[in-house]
Amino acid sequence: MRARDFIGTQDVTREDLRTVLDLAQDFAKGRLGGPTDGALSGKTVCLAFFEASTRTAVSFELAARRAGAHVISISEKGSAIQKGESLVDTVVTLDALEADAIVIRHPAAGAARLAARHTGAALVNAGDGRGQHPTQALLDVYALSEALGGLDELDGRRVAVVGDVLHSRVARSVIPTFQAAGMEVALVAPRTLLPLEAHAWNLPVISSVDDALDWGADVLYALRLQKERMTEGSPRVPSVAEYARYYGVARRHLATGTLLMHPGPVNRGVEVSGDVVFDHSSLIPTQVASGVAVRGAVLALATGAVGMEIAA
Amino acid sequence: MREASRELIIRGAHVLDPLSGLDEVTDVRLAAGRVAEVGAGLRGARRLDADGLHLFPGFVDVHAHWRTPGREDEETIETGSAAAAAGGFTSVVMMPNTDPIVDKPVIVSGLVRRIENESRVRAHVSVALHEGLRGERLTEMRLLKEAGAFCVSDDGLGTQSAGVLRNGMLYAKTAGLPVILHCEDHTLATGAVHDGVPAALAGIPGSPASAEDAATATALVLATETGAKVHITHVSTALSAGLVGYFKDRADVTADTTPHHLTLTDELVGTLDGMYRVNPPLRPEKHRRDVGEALRGGILDFVATDHAPHSLSEKDLPLEEAAPGFLGHETAFAAIHTELVLKDKLSLSRLIEAMASAPGRWIGGAGTLGVGAPADLALVDLSEEWTVRPEEMVSRSRNSPYLGQKLRGRLVGTVVGGELVYDRIGERVGERV
Ligand SMILES: [Zn+2]
Ligand SMILES: [Zn+2]
Repeated sequence: MRARDFIGTQDVTREDLRTVLDLAQDFAKGRLGGPTDGALSGKTVCLAFFEASTRTAVSFELAARRAGAHVISISEKGSAIQKGESLVDTVVTLDALEADAIVIRHPAAGAARLAARHTGAALVNAGDGRGQHPTQALLDVYALSEALGGLDELDGRRVAVVGDVLHSRVARSVIPTFQAAGMEVALVAPRTLLPLEAHAWNLPVISSVDDALDWGADVLYALRLQKERMTEGSPRVPSVAEYARYYGVARRHLATGTLLMHPGPVNRGVEVSGDVVFDHSSLIPTQVASGVAVRGAVLALATGAVGMEIAA
Repeated sequence: MREASRELIIRGAHVLDPLSGLDEVTDVRLAAGRVAEVGAGLRGARRLDADGLHLFPGFVDVHAHWRTPGREDEETIETGSAAAAAGGFTSVVMMPNTDPIVDKPVIVSGLVRRIENESRVRAHVSVALHEGLRGERLTEMRLLKEAGAFCVSDDGLGTQSAGVLRNGMLYAKTAGLPVILHCEDHTLATGAVHDGVPAALAGIPGSPASAEDAATATALVLATETGAKVHITHVSTALSAGLVGYFKDRADVTADTTPHHLTLTDELVGTLDGMYRVNPPLRPEKHRRDVGEALRGGILDFVATDHAPHSLSEKDLPLEEAAPGFLGHETAFAAIHTELVLKDKLSLSRLIEAMASAPGRWIGGAGTLGVGAPADLALVDLSEEWTVRPEEMVSRSRNSPYLGQKLRGRLVGTVVGGELVYDRIGERVGERV
């Protein structure tokens, strides 16, 4: 069985989503077995993190262990990756250890694609630069479909992706993924946080969360705003007050049943006002909880542990 | 802004409004603060006999420093707006380089309130593009707009770097605010006057034309790329005017030049008099001519005065130590009329377009006498010759470069919203019962 990579979501289809979501549900319900008899028994999963990320790393590691995989975890922090060691050298080394899947996080877009060319193992992108973060997008769709009662319930709904689209790999992954689920997507951001060619995705650009509700958003997907966007060089946003006023999600935006999502970690009072993170309209806790199941499903598909009819 | 005014019929003036194509002796009825009717033989209870006068749409000045808050010893909203009215201006944009700088919503809302109470003419608030005009942190443009900001500008200073400017343009576009740019490269503009023959002979440190041209080119390139609405103010060189022409159809760009750059040259540097320091500096004759030509041809869209009052203590200094800036409101029309129109370098109609129609379109809904338009207008006696005298200036300051000069064409009345706000002919208003 040939390994399957999860590098980006640009070509993801509705059927791909259905496969991952069904499997994630099985995983969540324990139908894929446990640490000793799990679907990944006998498989080796390597986590190679060239950029700090506790949450994503833990989520992958937990998923792999629960399904019975051996896990090798290396990171620059733990100095298993030598300072300056090249991505390709690391991948070649892991390949020699006969990894079945390599999960990679790297600060440069395209790192996952490059790594895939140098290994026979399945390559799972855990976030590369401003490029892609496919498992985030998959777990988002999983969380949303759990909340709405199934993948088909996403069809025709409207989601506004709010905030720092320019620097966000999450945005680049969720846009095509939501579209594959049949959703209409709009962007809500100042021009300073959008690519110059803001029409690159052919999506409407809306100038505030209030206007996004007028547009008919069923879901507000808030992106994380890195602090340095407001402090370094020539800041792209004048102040927290102004950002929160126009691009922050507040309680009033959720009054009519609009759902809130955020990939985490949340800057309270910036992207999301503090009191709504755990609001009943907030899927943020569900998103976090969906991580393990979806990443378990992805690893199972990637390593070929579970049969896959989905296109590469 | 004001209570609806009483009806007034202005009779017998030569009405010139390029926008509505009016250029004839006729009557105009003003009612409820608007132009109600234009045509010969209008009758009504209250009328103003304007035989022999010209009636123009009120002038619009997108660039003025009223020094409030902070330097009320030089100008206030009251005196600045009175000076504007005395020059036929009915709408003015106030620049934000005051003390404190206008970069916070609370300052804007305060100014808007004061304008309502103290200004004789319509006034709009320009806010800083960057906090403290420091060229680093963007101002809260969207909150500022909600507080009443009309546009953004770091006027008085050029911008630190192209990257900073580009970021500002992108954010201004998001905020829906036009950007007024003072184009000056501070690494080149190290002198006090234009780096020309008079500066060389007098030994005054000069700033080359490239200081303006390089910054103008950068601004135009970035305006084109970002799609921001950009207005280049006080264009003073031949090349900058040419650059504006090149980018005209490629970007959302407009530009103005000033009465003094159209009428004065750097020969005045030879006087060594602090009065004649201004930024951008007065240029040699070739620049003056080409800038005038660009205004005539419409490459430069309109005139703005850069009205910049200064106290005597800031002007009565050696040239290189004096504060840069000239009074502008009261002499703008007369100076250009005298130097360009009467010398056949500019038609009267194009001058009115450049002082009323075009800037009126830029600020929106001003600069025309079309029926339904706000009753903002200027009554002018084109034949009156007058000498600019310091004791007759309406501004609180006296730093006019035209002091002692004879000019032809003088305002006799200015109307805003149907009410006379500058009045040298009040006795001509007749009431009939
Ligand atoms: Zn200036
Ligand atoms: Zn100025």
